[in-house]
Amino acid sequence: MANTMSKKEALYAKKVANRKLSGSLEFTTSRLGYQVSAALALVFWFFARKGSVMWMGVAAVYTVAALLQYVICKKIVKEVTGEANAVSPATRKLGWLLLPFVFVGDFFLFIAGCMLIKNNKNLEYQLSVYSTLVSIFIIVVSMLNLFKETQASTFWLGIGLYGLYTVLNLVVMQAVRKYTFGKKPDKKFLPYAYISVAGLALGNVFSFLLGIVALGKYYNKNEEVNVEWIDVIRRLFRNYMACIGMFIVIFLLSVSVASNLTFEYAIAIDNNFRVRLAAPSLMYPFGCDDYGRCVFTRIIFGARISLLVGMISTILPCLVGGMLGAIAGYYGGKIDNMIMRCLDVLAAVPGILLAIAIIAALGVSTVNLILSLSIGGISGYARTVRAQVLGVANQEFVEAAKACGAKDGTIIFRHIIPNSLAPVIVRVTMGMGSAVLSTSSLSYLGIGVEAHIPEWGNILKAGSKFLETNPYIAIFPGIAIIIIVLSFNFFGDGLRDALDPKLK
Amino acid sequence: MKKIIALALAMVMAFSLVACGGGSSKEESELIATNPETIKILAQSSSEANANILRDQLSKAGFTVEMNTVPDSASWRQQREAGNYDIALTGWTTVTGNVDYAVRGIYHSTGNYNYGPILDEKVDQLIDKGAEETAANAAVTYTELENYLVTEMAYTLPIYASMKMMAYNNELLTAEGIFQPKSRPGRWEMYEYVDAANNDTRKLTLTQTSSAVSTLDPIQANDGTMNTLSGNQYIKIINLSDDDEIMTDSSLSHAYAVGEGNATYYFLLRDDVHFAKTENGAAVDTGVLVAADDVVFSLNRAKDKETINTHKTNTLHEHMEKIEIVTDIEELKTVKDSDTGAAIIDTLNAGVEVPVAALTAVDEEVNNAAGTYQVVKVTTKYAFPQVLNYLAHQSAGILHKEQVELYNSKFDGMSYDPNKDICYGDYAQVKGGMTDMLWCSGPYQLIKADDYGIEYEKNPGYMPEDERFAPSIKYLYMKFIKDTTSATSAFRAGEVDILGSVNANDVATVEGDAKNTVLKRSSNGVTYAVFNLLEGSKMTDVNMRKAVLYAINQDDFVAYNNGYVMPVYSTVGTLVETGNVHAQDLVKSNHHLALAQGLVTE
Repeated sequence: MANTMSKKEALYAKKVANRKLSGSLEFTTSRLGYQVSAALALVFWFFARKGSVMWMGVAAVYTVAALLQYVICKKIVKEVTGEANAVSPATRKLGWLLLPFVFVGDFFLFIAGCMLIKNNKNLEYQLSVYSTLVSIFIIVVSMLNLFKETQASTFWLGIGLYGLYTVLNLVVMQAVRKYTFGKKPDKKFLPYAYISVAGLALGNVFSFLLGIVALGKYYNKNEEVNVEWIDVIRRLFRNYMACIGMFIVIFLLSVSVASNLTFEYAIAIDNNFRVRLAAPSLMYPFGCDDYGRCVFTRIIFGARISLLVGMISTILPCLVGGMLGAIAGYYGGKIDNMIMRCLDVLAAVPGILLAIAIIAALGVSTVNLILSLSIGGISGYARTVRAQVLGVANQEFVEAAKACGAKDGTIIFRHIIPNSLAPVIVRVTMGMGSAVLSTSSLSYLGIGVEAHIPEWGNILKAGSKFLETNPYIAIFPGIAIIIIVLSFNFFGDGLRDALDPKLK
Repeated sequence: MKKIIALALAMVMAFSLVACGGGSSKEESELIATNPETIKILAQSSSEANANILRDQLSKAGFTVEMNTVPDSASWRQQREAGNYDIALTGWTTVTGNVDYAVRGIYHSTGNYNYGPILDEKVDQLIDKGAEETAANAAVTYTELENYLVTEMAYTLPIYASMKMMAYNNELLTAEGIFQPKSRPGRWEMYEYVDAANNDTRKLTLTQTSSAVSTLDPIQANDGTMNTLSGNQYIKIINLSDDDEIMTDSSLSHAYAVGEGNATYYFLLRDDVHFAKTENGAAVDTGVLVAADDVVFSLNRAKDKETINTHKTNTLHEHMEKIEIVTDIEELKTVKDSDTGAAIIDTLNAGVEVPVAALTAVDEEVNNAAGTYQVVKVTTKYAFPQVLNYLAHQSAGILHKEQVELYNSKFDGMSYDPNKDICYGDYAQVKGGMTDMLWCSGPYQLIKADDYGIEYEKNPGYMPEDERFAPSIKYLYMKFIKDTTSATSAFRAGEVDILGSVNANDVATVEGDAKNTVLKRSSNGVTYAVFNLLEGSKMTDVNMRKAVLYAINQDDFVAYNNGYVMPVYSTVGTLVETGNVHAQDLVKSNHHLALAQGLVTE
């Protein structure tokens, strides 16, 4: 009897501990930190098995990182589940040790460190951490070009500007710590907020979000009520995997902008048979393909076209399909029937086949690729929006708008669409992952982007011929594709949870 | 806060200092500044690698390059005919091993494959002159042709000459039985198993990429889908050796001789080759001798354009004036051999054990052991020694007269409609089950065909007493595998016993297995590019062509193919030692581009 009691008690204690831990950002970030670092360390030790000094060095650093993070994580677990129910200041100081590992590419530790150092973390602080991380990481990745024989003529200019931008981010982070922990941000924070919004020009969406969150809070008239979209972002940032997904997507977006300055395009497309099929080294981190082009540089430049095609070919059908779906759902009857039956016909043709047929008819080019991928997606979005609109159109506020004499257009665009956006946003996010995949698939088949243009599917195709002899040429673009699709999916998942009213 | 700003300023200064000292990757050059010139490259996706290297070199030479990569040969032809290109990548394989074939079709104004088209009287004259000369004299003419064609006029853009690489399973097959001819298709009758017990039971599997066999009538096609098949199904009166020397091995002739003046050719026929046919899914000996009248019929058919409206090979045989059976032995004694000056009969007798005692036109009277032979004489319109190469081509395969007429007499040759009429060798019908249509004179008889492959059985009446040439392996299967990568995998997995062509990038992996042997040799396959010479094209300007020509670096192509291709100057180069070597010269390229744009004068 006593035995069962203690068993139950232990179970209960475990549950309590688990609940405490899952609420602790320090714990979730540091756990993933040591797990990923250990996994990467194993991979690097595997690469180092042939005695490569470079890989051994990297593997050793990651091993240290994993061990350090593991020790810190254990400390956090002990303290959070212990009497104090909180992480001690001494442990928080250890967070500083984790930050430098970002310079060897381990951004998990950087995030964990930042989350550990500060006791009080609001949304703005998190956003400024990620924003800073993006700019630091761009410099770290660009610095790999130093091992190359030549750098782009704008390389140092780019590094300089991004160094400056990182400093700016750190300044904003300080301002965040000073001015944003009240109910609403201090007036002094406004210039920093505007600067942050401008970060969007560099692809740094974190910085942009930071800016508009601060502005949104500042200009919110009713202080007692939280702004809803800010709440959504806050909920989104509670999901660590979604943050990582977002970070990777936004990093690739930013590096697409940064590569204009810090990477040499010639290395990505000019043939250089002296280094044909070269193995990975510091000079060519992912090796060289059969034309002697640096696979790493190609992947960096490939991000640009993959993301561009992926985004446009998701947003385009979303707009067209959304419009058609809204009209069909709102008016119903014959119009609904006509639109939806036409779209059903479109939906009956498998998307990728439709894309192949369109490209075969119009010829191979990036514009045709976007077009062919977009057309196949229309019916899916129309269906989602229509279902949503059907639900919203019967609600009282729409009735009220009608009674007030609002025009149909006003009702659709002012009342119905904003209230049916949530599932569409999630669908778009998830859709981008599969659009990147489709782009790569079509390029792999030789009907996407022209073969010499760096695009992930193209790079993978070039590598597939050498799977047996030089597997790295295919492995790295393959991993890149997997990571970006995973990132979009994690992000989409997080967004779905954040938008779900039941999970508020 | 101030500290941070100070730090930031310090960093900015540091970075800008470094930025100023940053090196540039662009090199300065002493070239003439030219206007940007756009070059459109047309290529099939199968030659994507070549197109990419070409693109790279041209853009490094200062051209703006547009790529037009099309999925198949049909689209390629369509784009080319529409003139939608400046440079089009293509290739040529001289399957007969003689220079005339290497140049007439692609450079002569009447050539079927002269894509540019090159319309230059001097080129035509040189080709016609070379055709009439003996090998030694022709070499000079052909060298002159190459100099004019490439060096002087830059009509063609040489890329590289391929190497022929095949792989076989050395635990299964003997090395002695494997031949790797430079030009002609593989010799099936020579293959032999290491373990002779396999001969009658095990099916030997070969592979080819195309399942869309165009025809099994030798004269109606000359393409990769049927060359090997037709070449082994039908015997020829002469053969090419591995190195393109004329030989009688595995041919219908014991010996041959060239009459004085190089316009008459005599062939002394064997009497131990019978036609085979398919009965109940097995090859049987018809007992019908492959005789002189079949040879006369088949060669007349090959040279006559009017035989059938789908005739594709008459241009190879149009040099023949007359084919006849010699019955008068005195003719052999009076005509002199062009090489030795002795009587023809002496040359012919050197190839047989029993000397020629009598000649006959009647099949039943033939008896080589008793000295009764058949002789076929070919007369050419003018001195044309290269006719022998064409007679060794698969299109000169010997068919059975009555069997062909059984089908082809039912319609008029010039109004033949493939959708309505059934002609001899119609592959769709053979695939549909009409295997009894084919009477094969070669070492192997087709017994079954479908979408996956063709089954062959050895011809029991093919030189059965001749140990050297009688086929030893009874069953053979030609498996269709669409792409070379899959074919390579199938070979490595043991599903295929002989791999006809190995990709340059797969050689190392295939050789990695000790049971595989990869044979490599030079070939007559040349990859080159044609210029758009249609009126209005910028490539009609010789300076523009030269600007492109000098931008080409063949070393890159060699490097890309792991050294398994060779530099080349034109299709002549693989057959005649011309001494021409192409070298990249960007300064010359730039100079010619400036000339083309009128920026400088000579």
